[in-house]
This record gives sequence, structure tokens and C-alpha cells, in this order.
Amino acid sequence: MKNIKKLLLVFLAVLMMAVPAVACNGNNHSGKVSVTDMLGRTITLDEPATRIVALTAADCEILYALGCGEAVVGRGAYCDYPAEVMDVPAVESGYETNIEQIIALKPQLVAMATMAQTEEQVQQLEAAGIQVVISNAQDIEGVYTAITMFGDLMGKQKEAKKLVDSMKNTFKKVGKGGEGKTIYFEVSPLQWGLWTAGEGTFMDEVATMMGLTNIFHDVQGWAEVSEEQVIQKNPDYILTITMYYGEGPMPEEEIMSRAGWGNITAVKNKAILDLPNNELSRPGPRLADGATMLHDFITK
Amino acid sequence: MSIRDLRTNDRFVVFDYVVLALIMFLVFVACIAIGSVNISFTDTIKAIWHAITQIAVPEELEFVYSIIVSVRLPRVICVALSGAALSICGGAMQGLLKNPLADGSTLGVSSGAALGAVIAIAIGLYIPNSPVTATMLMAMLFAFLSMLFILSLSYKMDYSLSTNTIILIGVIFSMFASSILALITSFASHKLREITFWTMGSLSGSSYYNALILFVALAICGSVIIMHSSELNAFAIGEDNARHIGVNIKKTRLTIMIMVSILIGVCVSIGGSIGFVGLVTPHIIRMIVGPNHKKLLPASLFGGAIFLMLADLIARTIISPLELRLGIVTSFVGAIVFVIIFYRTRKAK
Amino acid sequence: MIKLSINNLGVSYGTLEVLKGVSFDSVSSQWVMLIGPNGAGKSTIVNAIARGVDYTGDIYLDDRDIKTFKSNEYAQRVGVLEQNHYVSYDFTVREVVGLGRYAYSKGVISGKDDGEDHIESALEKTDMKAMEKKSVLALSGGELQRVFLAQLLAQDPDIMILDEPTNHLDLLYQRDIFAILSEWLKEKDHMIISVVHDLNLARKYGTHAVLLNNGIIESYGEIQDVVTRDNLKKVYSMDVYDWQRQLLEQWRN
Repeated sequence: MKNIKKLLLVFLAVLMMAVPAVACNGNNHSGKVSVTDMLGRTITLDEPATRIVALTAADCEILYALGCGEAVVGRGAYCDYPAEVMDVPAVESGYETNIEQIIALKPQLVAMATMAQTEEQVQQLEAAGIQVVISNAQDIEGVYTAITMFGDLMGKQKEAKKLVDSMKNTFKKVGKGGEGKTIYFEVSPLQWGLWTAGEGTFMDEVATMMGLTNIFHDVQGWAEVSEEQVIQKNPDYILTITMYYGEGPMPEEEIMSRAGWGNITAVKNKAILDLPNNELSRPGPRLADGATMLHDFITK
Repeated sequence: MSIRDLRTNDRFVVFDYVVLALIMFLVFVACIAIGSVNISFTDTIKAIWHAITQIAVPEELEFVYSIIVSVRLPRVICVALSGAALSICGGAMQGLLKNPLADGSTLGVSSGAALGAVIAIAIGLYIPNSPVTATMLMAMLFAFLSMLFILSLSYKMDYSLSTNTIILIGVIFSMFASSILALITSFASHKLREITFWTMGSLSGSSYYNALILFVALAICGSVIIMHSSELNAFAIGEDNARHIGVNIKKTRLTIMIMVSILIGVCVSIGGSIGFVGLVTPHIIRMIVGPNHKKLLPASLFGGAIFLMLADLIARTIISPLELRLGIVTSFVGAIVFVIIFYRTRKAK
Repeated sequence: MIKLSINNLGVSYGTLEVLKGVSFDSVSSQWVMLIGPNGAGKSTIVNAIARGVDYTGDIYLDDRDIKTFKSNEYAQRVGVLEQNHYVSYDFTVREVVGLGRYAYSKGVISGKDDGEDHIESALEKTDMKAMEKKSVLALSGGELQRVFLAQLLAQDPDIMILDEPTNHLDLLYQRDIFAILSEWLKEKDHMIISVVHDLNLARKYGTHAVLLNNGIIESYGEIQDVVTRDNLKKVYSMDVYDWQRQLLEQWRN
């Protein structure tokens, strides 16, 4: 049981966090940098960072989006986007975070998420002279904060502002069109028990922004729900984030072939979208891409 | 007057099976009628009627039909069959090893089966056009190998197979299998999500096809096990005594082990590890009908089905619209019963 | 007429040779007592005849190698009563005794054989009829041994192999069990081979004896020719004859 729980946590970790860190060249401003991270801790650097280890996938994505991929000298094991990040040495993250591995990479800065690391790990790193920055985005506003924070740390304030503005623009553009419609988010396929994303997840936030109603908005976070409930709530759209494993039917086909699901509006209309690449589950810049895909899908 | 005194040994016959079957049927009906979504009893009956008669479903009933016939019914059937299968396995192992604490989960056989299935997933084993999937086959194979390993080791260390030795070895083996499983998981990171969800396997989303596989496995293996009731009685009294009265002990042991492995493999690959059912049911049934396997095994089939259906009912409804894992409910009850059995057997010595 | 021949029997546990070159024959109506000090190899002979241990050499039952018998076939000819019984589940007396008929059950669905009479008579002979519904967990050691003796009687073999059947039992049970056994021996073509620690019992009930020492036969033959003062002295490293007389002397008054 314990093991299963652990595996689940690892899995949720993959889904929700990937925090990389970046060091950038060609800074907008050189000189002393002082930043308050998302836990309210103050981080002071003499210069914008040039070597950073990012433990969560979302932070990795932010750093690459800010154009400081070269400053990323280490990444969490689950960081997988963009593709170049795979060439960066991986370190264990989450429960297995290996402090020695991180120190060996000689970063000035380590970016991590609150949920994955312990106090002790942070203290160990600081004792080794490495600054720790905590990103803790719980909503889209939080993602903007994280981007701005990394912009400051890496000396990429302009790029950060540009990125945040572009995301805001995108959300403004796609922030409607779903009024009166319902959606069901599927995180795992049926045979493993239906896990969905409820209130407090990015999927729920994006859907709400578009005027869509998440049929499990009354559920907190990630949870296993009853199949009967899905049928009863009869969503107009289904969004699955299941990956295709190269065997058996595609996720959309699998959902459409389920017994008893034939009367669900989404299935009748084949209104099922598969976003298998964490676009809507990671607190990073690609949330805007995911939102656009969902918007295009419901308004096409 | 204890339950034991109520037992009228020779008279546990047709009447008792009728009573058990009746209870099982009532529980079955209750499990169909109650669920996460409220549906009136008349609608439930109507939906099932349409399913049986294959008469076209009227539009206003389509929703009910989907819930009852497509979702709830196959799940409850699979749960009942899994409960029956795991319980008969538990009963058989407890007799074979003369050990009231033996069960797929306490001996580590379920963990072994899960390991086999995960290996199949990790290396992408796939059998085309077969009703038996690669994961199922590997689960059976590893269940058997685990049991072989655990038993040989136990015999080597303690010929009398004392309660503590074999359970201890089972627990250690379970941990070992889990660590290998975690190791494979770390190496097969591209399959991480699939493996993670597999190990959390659940009976939700069970299909009639799953039910058919379970039924066939149970019909064949269950019959073979029940046909060995006399041999299991002899083993339960003592392996040496079994040999003296003419039981072919090697053949019997091998047969039972294979049947149990197949059943556990099928159950684990369809519904994941559901702990303690095989421990709890035969124990309770034994208190009612006595240790004679001729009654114990068939009664455990009913008892296991009833127990697991009720556990699943709790799992489905207690925190609706969310679901609890079935294993959480069974482990909760099972752990308590385990302690009681252990306490009683120790006290008896 | 039944005949059991043991030829050049040897048993080793790892490198330890517990039996070497043991040979003797016995036929119907004989009660062969296996005697000798602890560790002489008595129980090992019993285990070998019961097919519970690997051995070298040959054991023949009516000129047929016992290894060629099927399990149930052999149980119809040879039955075993052990010294101790550890029961975990509360089977009834009758259920345990009934299992004695296992070897005769026919077909896959082990149904009824003609054994009800055997079970009844076994329960009566051992005086367990009144307790037939009782749980074996509730019995005393002596009662439990009688249950397994009843099982053996129900099994109705030609040869009984006994391993210290009355060790640890109260004298009453000892006397009763030996009385039942000698009755059984006389019934028809029967044979008993038993390990007995108590030399008094051996002399009283045995017709023949095998005296063992360190896994080798010291002496074999009719009981009075084997259990002699000289033989025992050699094997037991003491004057057993003298000691037994001293013990009995106490009961004179």
C-alpha cells in the first residue's frame, strides 16, 4: 500500500512539477540581484546566475522559454521539455533528491518546488554555498510570479515580461467560448481507476476561465472518481492527458469504446481531446499553448 | 454457546448452501441497486430486464441502462468472482500448509504476481490475438515461481512449516518483490505512468469480458481445488499423516500450487492486489462450518463473493463521488482479523 | 501370507550415515520390535518403510519393490502410527478417523467407499465412539493417539508400522493401545513392526526383535533370543538385565 502511494506521488510529481534552474548569459542588468521567492525567502546574488540546477519540469520549461537554457547545468529526472533539456545531466529529485549530485554540478542556484523537497535538503544546499529558490505556482497568477522571479534571478527581466505578456494575451484571447458547456478531465485510463483533476488544478482553472464547467469542480485536486458519476454528469467535452503506449487503441478511441459511455454527449459527438504532453498539467509557459489547443477544440 | 457449538457437522449440506446462496444473491442485488449514482429500484430492474431480453432500450432508460448494465453490473460480477477466487485460494493454501495465516498476500504470492506483470509491461511483452494477455501470463508464472521459492525455502529452514517461519519468509519475499518492482520502475521510466497505475490496479472499469475470464479460471481451477478436498483435509491434519494414509503429496502439492497461481495471477492482473480477502473469508467460514474442506471450500466461494462485494460497496459509496481503493477496505478489515487469528493461535499453544 | 524383506538398507543425512547394511525379513503374525539405544537408527528404519526418507538398498513387500507402489495402493497395505501429533484445526474425531479410508476412495470426487463399517468398528475398538463429534483440539494426548490409532484401523492395512506409539502416554492408555494392537495382529494375516523404547513392553508383546546399535543390526531373531543379558549389555553399555530386576524388586511388597 505504502509503495503504491509512493509511486502515485512520484507520478503526480511528474505531472505537476518539474523545476529546473537556469543561468543566463547576456544579462539585461548585471550587478547585485535580490529576489523574494515564492515562499517569501530572500535570495541575494552578486551577479545574475549563470549556473542553475532546476529540479522540476515546469521551472526547466520557464528557464528555456526565457532563453537561458545554456545556464541549466542540471535538471530533475522528470524534466523532459524542451527536447534539448534531455542533454543536460539529470539529478534525482523529489524524495530521492541527491544533494551530492547537485553540489557536484557547481551551480550558484537550485530551483525546486515546495512539495518535493524538505527543509533539511534546503539547509544542506545552503551550507554548501548554493542558493535555493523555491517556486510554488498554484495557479496561473503563480506561474507569472515564477516567470518574473526567474527573470530577475537570471537577469532576463525583459524576456520575462515579454513571456508573461504573451501568456496573458493568449489567455485573454481564449478566455471565452465554453459558456454553458461541461468538461471532464481524465488523468488515467479506466482500467487503472479513473483519476481526474478537480478544483485547484491548472486544468480546472483554464476550463473555468473559458466559461467551461469542470464536472468534478467540487472535487479537490487529483482524485479517483466513480465511473458512474462521469456518465451521470454527462460532459460535453472530455480532455484526457493519457499517453499512448504504442499498443492497443489510442486514448480517444479507448474512451469511445467504453461500455456505457455511448450516451455521453462528448462521446456521441466525438468531442474528446488528448493532450498527452503535460501542456495543461505543468505550471509553465506551455499552459498558454494548452489553453489555445483546448479553446480551438471547443470552438472548432 | 459459541459459534463452534452451533455447527452441526454432518448437517451442513444442501440447506446451508441454499442459505449462503440466498445471502449472496441479496448482497448482489443490494450492490447492483446501490451506487455512487442514485437510481430507483424499478429502473434498475427494468434496465436488467432489457439487458436479458435484448429488447431495444427506450430513450428515457438509456442513462440508467448505461450505469447499471454497462458499468455497475460487470463490476459487481467481477468483484464477486475475484472474492470467490481469492478466498478459495486462501482456503486451499491454509489447508496445504496447515497454517491459518496463509494467503496470497501474506505469503508474498500476490507481490510476485504483480512483479511478473510489471516486468511484462516494462519489456513491452505482448501476445497478439490471445484472450490471455502477456501481463496475465507473467503474473501467473511469477505467482507460481514465488510460491515455489517461498515453500522450498521454508521447508529447508523449518520442515514443520511452523506458522512464524513461513509468514516471515512471505513478508520478506514481499518486500524483496516490491523493491525489484521499484527498481524496474526506475529503469523503465518511459513506462512509469503505465506501471504506476497498473500497480494500483482496480476493478473499476471491469468488463463482461474480464468477468468471463475470471469465471472460466474459477470454474476450472476452483473445481480442481474442490476435488482435492480430501487431500487438503489430510494436509491440514499433517503432511506426514497425509502420506501415511495414501495421499500422493508431491502431486497434490504441485496441483494445488498451480491452480492457486493461475487464480491469483488472473485476479491480480485484472483487479490488482486485493489483500487479505483470502485470509479473512476462510477464517470466518471455518468458524461456521468447521475445517473440513469439503464444506469449507465451497462455502468460502460464497463467503468470499459476499465479503468482497460488501467491501466494494463501501469503497464505491462511502466518499462518493470519489472512490476508495478496494484494497484499502479489505486491508483494513484484514489486518484486524490477522491480528486476532495470530493472537488466538499463539494463545492456544 | 505377507512378507516384508529389507535388503542392505542404508540411509544417510548429508555425510552422516545413520543406517548401514540393514537386512531382515518378517512375515504375517510377527510383531517385530525395533530396539536399541537412542540414535541407533530405529526410527529411520520406520521412516524408510513408510517411504518418508531416501534410502539405498531394497525393501520388498511380497517380492515387489515398495517404490513401485502408488501412494494409495501402498497405504492399503502399510499403515503408520506416529509418536506425536500436532493438530492445527478443529477437525472432529470422526473426520480424522474417516481419512483412514482415503486410500480406498474411488474416482476424482472422493465419495463414499464401503468404509463406513470400518470407521464405526475402529471408533468402537478404540472406545472413541462417544467422542466422535468432539474436536480433536479438545482431546488429551492419550485420546489423540487413540484417534490416530482408530484412523489406522480404519485404513485396514496388512502391516502396521509404529514409532513409539505410547511414549509420553499414561499407563492406562499404554495398556489399552497395546491390547488393541495385539487383538488386531491376531485378526487375520497381519504384521506389526514397531519401535519401542521400553524393553518390558518389547518383551511382553514382541514375537521378534531387531537390536540396533549405531545404525547396524547387532542381533535379529525371535524375541527371547535377541533380548538377552549379553546382547543388551553390549549395546546399552550397562547391565540392563540387572537394572530391570532391581527396578522390579521395589514392587515386592
